[in-house]
Amino acid sequence: MKRTMPAAIAAATALALVLAGCGGEDEPTDPNAPVTITLAGWSLSTTPEFKTLADGFHATHPNVTVELKEYDTTNYDTQMTADLAAGTAPDVYVMKNLKNFYTYQNGGQLLDVSSATSGLSGVSSVAAYQVDGKAYAVPYRQDSWVLFYNKDLFAKAKVNPPDGSWTWDDYATAAKALTTGLKVAGAKATGTYQHVFQSTVQGFALAQTPDADLLSGDFSYLKPYYQRSLDLQAAGAQPTFGTANTNKLTYQAQFGKQQSAMLLMGTWYIATLLKQRTTGDADTFEWGIAPAPQFDKSTTGTSATPVTFGDPTGLGINPKASKAKQDAAKQFLTYVASEDAGKALAGIGITPAQVTDAVTQTLFGLQGVPQDDLSRFAYAKHTIKPENPVSKHTAGLQNLLNETHSAILSDSTPLDKAITDAQARAKNEVLNQ
Amino acid sequence: MTTTDLYRPTPAITLPGQRPPRRHAASRARRIAGYVTLALAAAALLLPFYWMVVASLKTNNDVFTIPIKWVPDPLVWRNYLDIWQRSDMTTWLGNTLLLSVVVTTLQVLTGSFAAYGFARVRFPGRNLLFLAYIGTIAVPWQSYMIPQFILMSKLHLSNTLWSIIAIQAFGAFGVFLMKQFYETIPEELSESARVDGLTEFGIYRRIMLPLSRPALASLALITFVTTWNDYVGPLIYLRSPELRTIQLGLNTFISQYNAEYALIMTGSVLSVLPVAVIFLLGQRYFVEGIATTGLKG
Amino acid sequence: MATMLRTRPRHRRLVVRNTVAGWTFILPNFIGFAALTLIPVVVLFYMAFTNWNVFGVADWVGTANFRRMWNDASFWTALRNTLYYTVFHIPLTMAAALGLALLLNRKLRGVAFFRTVAFFPYITSIVAIAVVWNQLFSPEYGPVNAFLRGLGADNPPGWTTSADWSMPAVIIVGTWRYMGYYMLLFLAGLQTIPAQLYEAAQIDGATPWQRFVNVTLPGLRHTTFFVTVMLTIESFKVFDLILVMTDGGPGQSTLVLSQYIYQKGFEENQFGYASAISIVLFAICFGITVIQFMVNKRRNS
Repeated sequence: MKRTMPAAIAAATALALVLAGCGGEDEPTDPNAPVTITLAGWSLSTTPEFKTLADGFHATHPNVTVELKEYDTTNYDTQMTADLAAGTAPDVYVMKNLKNFYTYQNGGQLLDVSSATSGLSGVSSVAAYQVDGKAYAVPYRQDSWVLFYNKDLFAKAKVNPPDGSWTWDDYATAAKALTTGLKVAGAKATGTYQHVFQSTVQGFALAQTPDADLLSGDFSYLKPYYQRSLDLQAAGAQPTFGTANTNKLTYQAQFGKQQSAMLLMGTWYIATLLKQRTTGDADTFEWGIAPAPQFDKSTTGTSATPVTFGDPTGLGINPKASKAKQDAAKQFLTYVASEDAGKALAGIGITPAQVTDAVTQTLFGLQGVPQDDLSRFAYAKHTIKPENPVSKHTAGLQNLLNETHSAILSDSTPLDKAITDAQARAKNEVLNQ
Repeated sequence: MTTTDLYRPTPAITLPGQRPPRRHAASRARRIAGYVTLALAAAALLLPFYWMVVASLKTNNDVFTIPIKWVPDPLVWRNYLDIWQRSDMTTWLGNTLLLSVVVTTLQVLTGSFAAYGFARVRFPGRNLLFLAYIGTIAVPWQSYMIPQFILMSKLHLSNTLWSIIAIQAFGAFGVFLMKQFYETIPEELSESARVDGLTEFGIYRRIMLPLSRPALASLALITFVTTWNDYVGPLIYLRSPELRTIQLGLNTFISQYNAEYALIMTGSVLSVLPVAVIFLLGQRYFVEGIATTGLKG
Repeated sequence: MATMLRTRPRHRRLVVRNTVAGWTFILPNFIGFAALTLIPVVVLFYMAFTNWNVFGVADWVGTANFRRMWNDASFWTALRNTLYYTVFHIPLTMAAALGLALLLNRKLRGVAFFRTVAFFPYITSIVAIAVVWNQLFSPEYGPVNAFLRGLGADNPPGWTTSADWSMPAVIIVGTWRYMGYYMLLFLAGLQTIPAQLYEAAQIDGATPWQRFVNVTLPGLRHTTFFVTVMLTIESFKVFDLILVMTDGGPGQSTLVLSQYIYQKGFEENQFGYASAISIVLFAICFGITVIQFMVNKRRNS
């Protein structure tokens, strides 16, 4: 059998062996020797955060140069998976969300960086990257979902703007009132815009509903949230899911061009909106941010802490990097979650992992950011729950819930049946694996 | 459209002189109707391209609107300036052109060469080997691209233009296509050539190649366009900015939280035009009788 | 698949000579093909029997992946949808491509322009195609439904926003996109039909339809076979068009096997399972191809 093995199979077996295991190499270390570490990033010309972090770190650690490697934005994880599998990945790379963090961590592609997190006790999202008490990545930004609203359109429709006390029912009432009011005033904008992402419904439902648990496979917590979305689109208070999908509506145009008076979105949109106002892609109007509407009254009002969601964005270290690079990379990771890095990031409109008073000060000092107290409150105070709990089943569950999302909002499947189907599929296709 | 219009495949039977004169007016009316139909069909086929052009003349947030705006207002010519100033369009086009030309040349050469072996030389295991070629077409690339990428990385070919050439140039497609066309050429032609003392290579070079020009043209056009528009291949294999192809380059206008659709469409329009020109030049090989004239006598 | 092995020495010499000649022709292509395609494909076959996670773990699990597939409702949905797409896409594209080729294989003013236009859907950016077709199909605002309402349809389909109509919509766009591509192949094939055959048929007084059936179709046999095989395989592997048009939705109504493979592999990091599904997809395509080969062979002889 062995002797007649065709060459292709022999070569394939050799390759399979290569695939099955690769090792790194070690070099002697000197903490002050010049060292260059590579960092993965994307769209470098329009995404300044990577360069901000690299330059900020180099200023305090002149012997370490952080070199950026550019990846494709939409297919970052595909490219990174290929690079990690072939051993050609950079020394430090980004976890776009917690779903992929699990894949990399579980695949042995992340170095234990617990030592880098020891001084970061004030950063709550550090915990998101801990597995069995060890940290495998460090967060540098922590966006959260808030309510963007157009003050001009509220005034035009003669509807009271959000005051921090809104539950989802208040939000729905306002959206309908805005739509009617705007029509009376002769504007064709809708009360609100719900983007096609599954997060716009499921993220809030999971974060805010008491005892909701993605991994339980019981998705009944989604029902009231979907019911409200269906009502709003049936009432014409927001473009339907079908319309948004078939017309590839962008939330930037919907809100920025004043097509909708409200928008639930992550805080990353602040930087985009500011930029689009200067380039003329967005209109110039009075806007503000408010806390996301709440599950019930217990978390509303500016004396309570509103609950919202968002995955941190973190950096991890490639275990195949040499010892010297690993050490330098760990220092870099400690830096990216620090207040210094936070202020630098806030200076370009980004929400860092640690929102301190100084960070809020910096962000609200930017040209064009609203100055009202509610916006500051919404930005600085909230409980942020992760959208993707770290687990082997998360990616599979989120994929099937994404299909459920489009089935419900396109009116293809009645709500109750869609949830029952999703629960059955979760049980039979994901949780049993 | 009548059946006569549809199934009149070669011009040999439509010589105007052979027509009885009384049918002249009817045939003219039919011809005009035919052109109108063609023009309407052309409009339907070009609609997305038209939308691309319109989108390239809009500001970014005007690209997607409800309802769709078919006429840009205001006209934004700036995108066509911006794309050259703000990006490496020249590099992207250069890389894409280089890849397309090299891959097309290699694919046509090796494909037509190998096809001759499959079509005209009988040897044991031939059909089995051919099935292996076809079989690999049936495997979705996204499922074996990681093993392939690892292999290429071990060969230090990833992140070079060579990687794209290597994975595109030796495909089974060209072999299969050319084999099918060689089989339409009568066996007697090569037999008599053999009697005249031509070697197998001579037969390939002197008889098969000249007779399969339409097939070579379609293989070349298809390979060129596929390489030109390939996105996933370069996405997996190329990382360095200076190696980007046009499709990869255009994707850099998409960032995490925003996408510059107007610029993407500007670039897409610019990237379609060279392909259209190549096609316009290449399609003249699909004219009557190139293959058939050689068969006379 | 009969081998040509004979016992007599003269034949044996011929066989050896032919084998050398055959391999000489095939080798330049085969080296590249074997190294870059065949080996990774063989690896894939191995990985289908492992729990490969792409990062080094690949433990042998026997047929576990295939047993899991048997009970995986989503896999069956994806398979059903793929068949749905294939069954309609193949004949429609075939007919459209052949029709276009016949129409544009004539002396016609501007034929070069029309041929280029017919090929345009294949070279237009797929994103633009998805955007425009989605907007054309838009239930409330789209021209397609406006037209249908004009014809008197009270309740026109929801197209890409409806689970029942999303697949027909994708099939229409798929046919629209690929017909120019296959037209090109038919155009090349039409050039191999000797003009004398048409002249002879003309003299015999054959009607256009008879000429089509008795001259064109038999003359195109080799091309038609190629197109059928390629079209079958490409339909079974349909991926990017669906991804940009509907992303498999609404619900799972347009989820196809290629997309499911990508989901399981790259999104859920179950490359072993994804490999096993690829093998099944391969087996279906390959089985049909072999049948097509055998039918073709019988027809040829």
